[in-house]
Amino acid sequence: MTFWLELVIKLVLMLGLVLTAALVTIYVELKAGSHMQARIGPYYAGGRWGWAQPLADGAKFLQKEDLAPANADRTVYGFAPYVVMMSTLAIFAVIPLGSDLVATKLDLGVYFVLAISSLSVLGILMAGWSSANKYSLIGGLRAAAQLIAYELPLVLAVVAVVVQAGTMSLTGIVEAQQTTLFTVGGFNVALPYLLTGQIIGFVIFMIAAVAELSRIPFDMPIAESELTMGYLTEYSGIRFTMFFLGEYASMVGLSAIAATLYLGGYGAPFLPETIANLAGPGILFVKVAALVFFIIWIRFTWPRLREDQLQSMAWRWLIPLALVNIAVVSIFKVVL
Amino acid sequence: MTSREMMHRSEVAVSVELETPDMTLNIGPQHPATHGVLRLIAKIHGERIETVEPVIGYMHRGYEKLAEVRTYAQMTSLVNRIDWVSGFASEVPFILGVEKLMGVEAPERAQWIRLILTELFRISSHLVFMSSYPLELGASTPLMHVLREREFILELIEDVTGGRFHPNFSRVGGVKPAYGGGSQTKKQSMDLPAGFFKRTLEAMDRMDQIRDDIDTLVAGNELFKARTVDVGVIPADKAIEYGVSGPNLRASGVAYDLRKVDNYLPYDQVEFDVISRTSGDCYDRYVVRLDEIGESVKIIRQAVDIIPSGPLQAKVPRVLKVPRGQVYSRAENPKGEFGYYIVSEGGKMPYRLKIRSTSFSNLTILPWILEGQLIPDLVAILGSLDFVLGDVDR
Amino acid sequence: MSDKPDAALEADANPLADYVGDMAERLGAEGFAVDFDTARVFVAREKWVDTINEARKELPFFSWLSAIDWSRETEVGEGVAEPDELEERFEVMCRLSSVTDDKAIQFFATVPKDDPTIESLTGSIGGAEWHEREAHEMFGIMFEGNNNLVPLYLPDEFIGNPLLKSFPLIAREVKPWPGEVDVEGLVSDQDGDEEGDAS
Repeated sequence: MTFWLELVIKLVLMLGLVLTAALVTIYVELKAGSHMQARIGPYYAGGRWGWAQPLADGAKFLQKEDLAPANADRTVYGFAPYVVMMSTLAIFAVIPLGSDLVATKLDLGVYFVLAISSLSVLGILMAGWSSANKYSLIGGLRAAAQLIAYELPLVLAVVAVVVQAGTMSLTGIVEAQQTTLFTVGGFNVALPYLLTGQIIGFVIFMIAAVAELSRIPFDMPIAESELTMGYLTEYSGIRFTMFFLGEYASMVGLSAIAATLYLGGYGAPFLPETIANLAGPGILFVKVAALVFFIIWIRFTWPRLREDQLQSMAWRWLIPLALVNIAVVSIFKVVL
Repeated sequence: MTSREMMHRSEVAVSVELETPDMTLNIGPQHPATHGVLRLIAKIHGERIETVEPVIGYMHRGYEKLAEVRTYAQMTSLVNRIDWVSGFASEVPFILGVEKLMGVEAPERAQWIRLILTELFRISSHLVFMSSYPLELGASTPLMHVLREREFILELIEDVTGGRFHPNFSRVGGVKPAYGGGSQTKKQSMDLPAGFFKRTLEAMDRMDQIRDDIDTLVAGNELFKARTVDVGVIPADKAIEYGVSGPNLRASGVAYDLRKVDNYLPYDQVEFDVISRTSGDCYDRYVVRLDEIGESVKIIRQAVDIIPSGPLQAKVPRVLKVPRGQVYSRAENPKGEFGYYIVSEGGKMPYRLKIRSTSFSNLTILPWILEGQLIPDLVAILGSLDFVLGDVDR
Repeated sequence: MSDKPDAALEADANPLADYVGDMAERLGAEGFAVDFDTARVFVAREKWVDTINEARKELPFFSWLSAIDWSRETEVGEGVAEPDELEERFEVMCRLSSVTDDKAIQFFATVPKDDPTIESLTGSIGGAEWHEREAHEMFGIMFEGNNNLVPLYLPDEFIGNPLLKSFPLIAREVKPWPGEVDVEGLVSDQDGDEEGDAS
């Protein structure tokens, strides 16, 4: 009985967390992005700060008509957004917010995350194909090519971390980052993997993550000025909300994974064990917020890369670099 | 099915020749990237374009037929709507042509005011290009910052002429003599508004600032360069053959600027350089316009010093009857060579007005240059030609 | 200026006139005229393409190509100054200019109205295609050799050639012109001037 009760509580908390995180991220993108562009941004919904804007947008989408193009493949068309959403939400099941605050302690944590998140490619292809629209088709194909190409650097960067930590469990990786490296004046100093040899891996991971999210500079699939929303062109209402929330949720999710793998997750230096569970979420939140802000910042600054430049960057630069990274980390792991 | 049969099946399936017919993609007329109502019928093969057929005429307003039933003064208020981004610069050659036929010369001050306004509109037009071109490539921030700076220019223009986009400020024999308000002062001709030169110089400082900002943020950006360098190269001889003019021609290596060649306004009394670059790709076209903003700022700063005082309009009869003659009068518009061929038979209206619009000639090169390009490059090239549909369709 | 094509007007003693006269002689043109800083060279219809190609060696920039409809009767607008002396015809004009200085010549070829055809320039000048399409749909002139003479501006169902003098202004058929509207008064004009409404 307690198993089912626990399950329901965990589900509710996790969904709540994810949706709140997505909404907050949407709001930050609107507001911070506007200020970067010399605009004010949301101003009316929810008082002067416009904090209710994402809620208002969500409510607007939910009450839209359920449209589908006449030639669309109905089943696939309706199913695609849920595939994408599902693969995004599943990531959060293994992210540790504290040493015991995790929905499931999987030994295969990282492996599970990578496997599930690559299901979104399927959803996007389904969306592009079933919309019966040439623009959507081109967008879907571009997306599939891009996502598959950037899966590899993502996975290879993670492999280097796994080699260094010796475990695939996310909690295990955080704890491995908390092992004392040296003592300074009576204090045990532990450094996150970013500073202990994974800097290249971090850069590769972040580039691949931005590409997985189809955000500028890698947003060829949704290249607005060319293809009017690419594979999302024919989606509206609830289905569009699923895609939309899914993108921001996976932005938070991938940032959380990056924070866990490279920045030390819920751990912080000089933190006593007793309040690790309490302070953990807050610490993770700070790290995730920094990464999310960085991703948003990039979006408003740079133009987008062309498809073949994108592909050549993945195959000719990131993958060899990631392989070299693994080799170097392995050598150091064995030697040191 | 046994595994043997399944294996045979898969071999058969793979060895069949896959036929991938070309797809016909219709881009526009409603499309975020086509600068207005331009329709491109593209036959594409994967991501590569085989042929492109532009369909224009959605904005055809019949200017040349209309000109045959409008007096010259009425036409003045219409011609700045052809290329609405560089409004005043389209009026100048028309008025100069009429003045040539009538043998009237505008007073010095009027000519200098025309020069200042033309250069202000040149800056404004190039700023529009600066902001919308990165947007097509995906960078959305320059749009906001640059258009905010453009507001200062539009405010200046509005102070002088009363209109932001369609100034309707030229008169045959000079520029519009401004009236003070109210009926008592209706005889008073007020010159340029008070403080205009001071505000102009302040605005020019801002233009220098935004020019440097864009130079760092956009033209120096590696990703922007990767999208535009060696994309859409127009060789100089092709540009000349197709009638491409203006910054597009100068980016291809032909340093030809009508401001230096013809003396239609007192450009010989100010110092400025003709900006030209060598390779003729999209990046060069962008940088040429960026640098031309700097040159226009230089011109305006000098003009503000040199401008003499004097009357604003020469004496012309109230109802204009232009003597018989044919004249072609051209000017360096922000987008290129803009000209009018006026055939006058001695009446109040022209017998035939042929408008040589820059964007129309610039666009004739489109089928040639878009052959064999990728679709994202199509957007990049289309944007870099900097055309306005009103100019193309007249 | 409804000249007969082989009348050379009195040209001013200026370098442009000398240059144009020289060019006209070399090209075997039928006449030339230089006034208002505009140089016009009159060419026979049969030698149109050859003359243009030859001139392009010195004036390579192809600026534009269009036509004029000289006609005694006009449906709207004012007509020619001396309709009795007018020879009804089309004049196809093409402007070439230099890319190093301000030399430019406008070439004219007379095309009779009962046989409105002329050879196309698209063989040697790529940019001429659209200009010829426009002249074709506006005036009805056939350009032989241009195999893409589909309408450029007008919708597919449009019948007629709008820029012909015999083509009415459709807007005026619907609603008659209210008459010329007063232009604004000038500063240096008579006393007691009311500021008229600008149209």
